[in-house]
Amino acid sequence: MTEMENIAIADQVDHSSHPNTFLTKYVWSQDHKVIAIQYSITAIAVGLIALVLSGIMRLQLGFPNEFSFIDPSSYLQFVTMHGMIMVIYLLTALLLGGFGNYLIPLMIGARDMVFPYLNMLSYWTYLLSVLVLISSFFVSGGPTGAGWTLYPPQAILSGTPGADAGILLMLISLAIFIVAFTMGGLNYVSTILQARAKGMTLMRMPLTIWGIFVATILGLLAFPALLVSAIMMIFDKVVGTSFFMPAILSLGETLDHSGGSPILFQHLFWFFGHPEVYIVALPAFGMVSDVIAVHARKNIFGYRMMVWAIVAIGGLSFVVWAHHMYVSGMNPYFGFFFATTTLIIAIPTALKVYNWLLTLWRGNIHLTVPMLFAIGFIFTFTHGGLTGLMLGNVVIDLPLSDTFFVVAHFHMVMGVSPVMVLFAAIYHWFPLLTGRFLNNTLGKFHFWGTFLGTYAIYLPMHYLGFLGVPRRYFAMGETDFIPESAQTLNAGITVSAIIVGLVQLVFIANLIWSSFKGKKSGRNPWQATSLEWQTAQFPPGHGNWGKHVPQVHRWAYDFSVPQVIDDFIPQNVSPAEVEYLSSEQNNSREEK
Amino acid sequence: MQILKTLQIKPWLPQAQESNLPPLVPNKEKAASTALKFFLAVIAVIFFLFTVTFLQRTQSFDFQALSGEPWLPFTNASMLWQNSVYLIMASISIIVAKKAADLQSFKGVIISLTTTALFTVLFIGGQVQVWQQLNQSGFYIYANPANSYYFLLTGMHALHIVAGVLVFIRCIWLFSFNLSYQVLASRLKLCARYWHFLLFIWLFLFFLLTSDAQTFKTIALFCGF
Repeated sequence: MTEMENIAIADQVDHSSHPNTFLTKYVWSQDHKVIAIQYSITAIAVGLIALVLSGIMRLQLGFPNEFSFIDPSSYLQFVTMHGMIMVIYLLTALLLGGFGNYLIPLMIGARDMVFPYLNMLSYWTYLLSVLVLISSFFVSGGPTGAGWTLYPPQAILSGTPGADAGILLMLISLAIFIVAFTMGGLNYVSTILQARAKGMTLMRMPLTIWGIFVATILGLLAFPALLVSAIMMIFDKVVGTSFFMPAILSLGETLDHSGGSPILFQHLFWFFGHPEVYIVALPAFGMVSDVIAVHARKNIFGYRMMVWAIVAIGGLSFVVWAHHMYVSGMNPYFGFFFATTTLIIAIPTALKVYNWLLTLWRGNIHLTVPMLFAIGFIFTFTHGGLTGLMLGNVVIDLPLSDTFFVVAHFHMVMGVSPVMVLFAAIYHWFPLLTGRFLNNTLGKFHFWGTFLGTYAIYLPMHYLGFLGVPRRYFAMGETDFIPESAQTLNAGITVSAIIVGLVQLVFIANLIWSSFKGKKSGRNPWQATSLEWQTAQFPPGHGNWGKHVPQVHRWAYDFSVPQVIDDFIPQNVSPAEVEYLSSEQNNSREEK
Repeated sequence: MQILKTLQIKPWLPQAQESNLPPLVPNKEKAASTALKFFLAVIAVIFFLFTVTFLQRTQSFDFQALSGEPWLPFTNASMLWQNSVYLIMASISIIVAKKAADLQSFKGVIISLTTTALFTVLFIGGQVQVWQQLNQSGFYIYANPANSYYFLLTGMHALHIVAGVLVFIRCIWLFSFNLSYQVLASRLKLCARYWHFLLFIWLFLFFLLTSDAQTFKTIALFCGF
């Protein structure tokens, strides 16, 4: 073994990846921070496309047939692309590729990911998957309109929009994305397990890292199900196999397929699809825990239980998938089983919500913009979670499954809630990236516009669902059981959606403006304890730690420690370095 | 279970002895080993899921197993046995290559690496030959679900072998520059683990894809399909 190889990874400076030129520094960079920013910009850009698509859908729903460029086919294509982009290419990529990349090495005290080259490759493969996906807008027939779940047989049969090139490009793009994710994911778990700084035991890791760690393992084990189903569907489409295709008549013509099972695809899809909810949610849970602790100046309530809950939710997420398939029909005992596991998963999830609230309780709450978004998340997540409990029951799900109630539920729980955390995280960690704050006034405007606006969108949607308004429909037409007022409500929702969309432009403008002109933050502006704020150079440079990697002496939540001068103790401060109050100072603080 | 003990630690309390904390940062070889373990888990999940769908499909009315009757291609699976021997030989020679690297024997390394590459290529070639024979005999990929699964599963397996070969070539390429036997040995150790794993997957697929209808019925009964 060479001498270099005997040195712990954390102490090695990776000379191979030292950037010298513009290309190696900003384009073909192997620095996790640059790769994180590349991931984030790509994800946000593609997310904006999906946001515009949702706006177009809302225009049709709110003001039917007013816009000639939206026809039934394009409507379905917009629904499909909006869903897939938001879930996979925005949320998964931004939370794990963006925040995972940026925060893992910095928060655990490593110089970089353990495989920087693979990390770079992961981003470029992700970009390729995005380009393949977007290219489907420009091929004959346009992108697939099969719905984001891509259920066969209709996904690959003529009559469905994009059933030729569109669906193939979607499936190929997903396969490429999964390759990219696997490269990134292997890096994240290996780095967390093998490259932590001295003293950074697993149970001293910030909850952000726990969330990302368990979510990555879920991704590594769940994405193969999507890959398997994508490959099999490509075979059905291109080669003429019958994995998912039953004997079928299409447009009056008997097709060559026979014996395949569409339900099998649904099982595979949701075996990926449900853990995917937690691939998005767990990093968000972790990040919001850290934001709340820092801005409430209080140690996170029940750290161990928070970790246990993350692990338990991760495990349980693999045994609840069929609750997405109650209406597909299943053995009643299976329905009972999946309803039970679904309700059980509410226990660790509720535990986390209580612990966030108990962290806030009697905390020194600073209503900063990140904190506003974090508190907003607790509201939206609780609402989305409670409707999830309703839909987890077979008898309630059956009548509501194909209505707007479900749309409202999943947008609250895995659309709005993770996005609230993403905003909290961006406002919180922006100074670490740039050394500047995001503008506070614009931030508060952004928060209230988004928070109230999303409620204006999704709260009424629950009522539409109760009325029986079906989802996925281009237009209601003459429907006796839906009152006229439902259309008025739909118009109101559309206006709210457009306002919320426009408010996001304020956020983008704030991001760009503050990157150059924002108020300087100085080091560790939120007085956080975790390692990413304790770097030698601020914002952290290449290699993160200067000459010496930090040694960790405590957990990440030493806030408001009694008898200590500062109200926080960073993780890398040893017991001998802690400054205590004199007895007079202590008495006067207690009197206050 | 160490992990259960770890999860019970109360991090807000002072740790007994800072200096006694377990060594957390091993070398890069350990990191690569961890990554490989997770990667093998990913591959295992992929083949597990394929297998579950396959077993379910074996019970459909239109499924025609590929062995059990004289006219079926794998009633006599001698070609597949031959391919299995190639892959077993590749697996053995990669262990020999690792040992040769440990002993710093240049000649041993070159011979065993060449043997590994040769047997692996023979395996891929043999698989391609079987695919051609199936096509020539009318067992097209779309003709029957058993055929579809045969092409799909062996194709996926071959793809993983090819990916392994690329990594293997990179090891040799890097060795040709730095001539470090220790680094080569550590890389070959991981390559060997990958080869053994794919050999295991192949033997499993071999058994699965060449079983007759009665065997599938028994398995399906056992699994509750």
